[in-house]
Amino acid sequence: MSTAAPPEPAARPRARHGGRLSNGAFALLLTAPGLALFAAIIVYPLVSALFTGFFKQDLRLPGREFVGLENFTYWLDGDFLTILKQTLVFTVGATIVPFVIGFALALALNTGLKGSGFLRGLFLFPWVIPGVVVSFLWMWIFNANYGVLNGILMDTGIIDESVTWLGQPGTAMLAVIITKTWASFPWMMVMLLAGLQTVPKELHEAASMDGAGAVRRFVAVTWPQVRGVASIVLLLEFIWNFQHFDTIYVLTGGGPAGATETFATAVYQSAFKGFDLGRATALGGLWMLLLLVLVAVYLRITERKGDAR
Amino acid sequence: MTSTTTSPLSGTEPLKSVATRTGGSTRRRIRKDLLRSRVAAWSAVLVIGAFGMAPVYWLLVTALSPTDQAFQFPPKLIPTEITFHNFSALAENDQLLKYLVNSMIVATITAVLSVVVATYMGYSFSKFRYRGRRSLMHLVLASQMFPQALLLVTLYTVFSSFGLLNTYTALVLSFTTFTMPLCVWMLKGIFDTIPDALLEAASIDGASRWRTLHSIVAPLAAPGMIAAGLFAFVRGWNDFIFALTLADKEKQTLPPGLVSTYIGEFQTAWPELMAASLVVSIPVVVAFMFLQRYLVGGMTAGSVKS
Repeated sequence: MSTAAPPEPAARPRARHGGRLSNGAFALLLTAPGLALFAAIIVYPLVSALFTGFFKQDLRLPGREFVGLENFTYWLDGDFLTILKQTLVFTVGATIVPFVIGFALALALNTGLKGSGFLRGLFLFPWVIPGVVVSFLWMWIFNANYGVLNGILMDTGIIDESVTWLGQPGTAMLAVIITKTWASFPWMMVMLLAGLQTVPKELHEAASMDGAGAVRRFVAVTWPQVRGVASIVLLLEFIWNFQHFDTIYVLTGGGPAGATETFATAVYQSAFKGFDLGRATALGGLWMLLLLVLVAVYLRITERKGDAR
Repeated sequence: MTSTTTSPLSGTEPLKSVATRTGGSTRRRIRKDLLRSRVAAWSAVLVIGAFGMAPVYWLLVTALSPTDQAFQFPPKLIPTEITFHNFSALAENDQLLKYLVNSMIVATITAVLSVVVATYMGYSFSKFRYRGRRSLMHLVLASQMFPQALLLVTLYTVFSSFGLLNTYTALVLSFTTFTMPLCVWMLKGIFDTIPDALLEAASIDGASRWRTLHSIVAPLAAPGMIAAGLFAFVRGWNDFIFALTLADKEKQTLPPGLVSTYIGEFQTAWPELMAASLVVSIPVVVAFMFLQRYLVGGMTAGSVKS
């Protein structure tokens, strides 16, 4: 870097001529390593995936054959709607249930309980431990022969005989949703608690003086203030759950009898169990299309909130 | 964000002032209101606490149980016998130790790579204004939401054609797909808090832009860079799907390693698996304790302030 060049404010966008790079070029240079990595490991694979959907290609073998829309029609005439429905059931369940729990907890901690700071830290534990550990733990809890859940439910007389929670279509999805709920309600709690703490206390005091009950205060004072955080939390969690893989894969592998199959597990299975790269990426393309809509909505909302300055 | 602010309803002083200003009936009503909200708050904490903490308790109990006690039905909620055998058995398992070393190596390199790349990118996004900047930022943000399972399928073929399957390189690069965007956003936020005036002052004193970044901005941002690095480490440490697919037993990390070690076709060694799970969680929990301040700040900063 030339030392003879006169100094200039780094923060100002001002093009310069001569020995030095303009600020714009310097800024782009800074992004170059990141962009190169980005192009190589995210953009290129995803773009190539979109093309692969039109070919018949084995994961293990080189070479492929153009088959047009065959891979897409395979899904659309077959399991697409079932997978979409199950993905939505999982996504909605694993978004709404932890939201309600997290919100209730945030409201409780926001009333100024003794030790709420400590409790907040303690409650984060389920969210902190690795996802695979969460799956193992609940797999053990749901275990049909020795599981503690069956033990407690039989002790209290709620059920008469052991239930194979993960082994039958009727309960497997519920079990998966409960597991994911356990792992994600703490995150929602933290976000919503942060939102609640921005609500001016005077508003509550005033509403209370005017005779507003708890429900009224929630609707008129609390909700309008946290609505922004709540919508972002819900949307992000929805997007994440829409492509969630780990919990479902470890707990049920998409089974029993495909009852917990989602886009993530179906794409994985058709690529790495069926070795059918064309079919896997075709389903992935349909899935991406749906996700893009969600991501566009998310960007819209964060944009409006001035998050992406 | 303050964690232990007391709401006006719980302190005694606002109550008193309310009482002197208004009649006794308002005071009674507000006191009843307060009592009711206290009861509601504690019930919520207790019920959700049971749901949140009982599994953690069960994880501990099982990890400390001898095998015959763990496989009793109905299970004993309060154990009668405690053993550390499950933990000592882990230390003797060479394959698990190999997974552990792999996890350490891969997660560390991932963290360093992500932070270095993200520092430059985040700095560029934060302190410069140029055409295409917003589109790039959106691309980075949106990339966190691409479906990983699909990315994995094509990364597999890419790595396969370069002969990179079953290498640390493949794992580090694939982990970077989700750690780098995260680090860019965290670090952009950190750089936003460093005043532009400081950079101008450095420039007036004759520092080049590289020098300003490396000797003035980076030291100031160091705590944030460490936090971002820990985040990336934890995400890499926790990854399951990429490590499961892109590496074999030689290069696999702990999460998929645990599946192949313990989830057997016949009987799973649950007490040992629970002990191993605890061990896997330790680095994450420790990192988290250091991170808590940044974590809550970072998670909420963007979305709460409008």
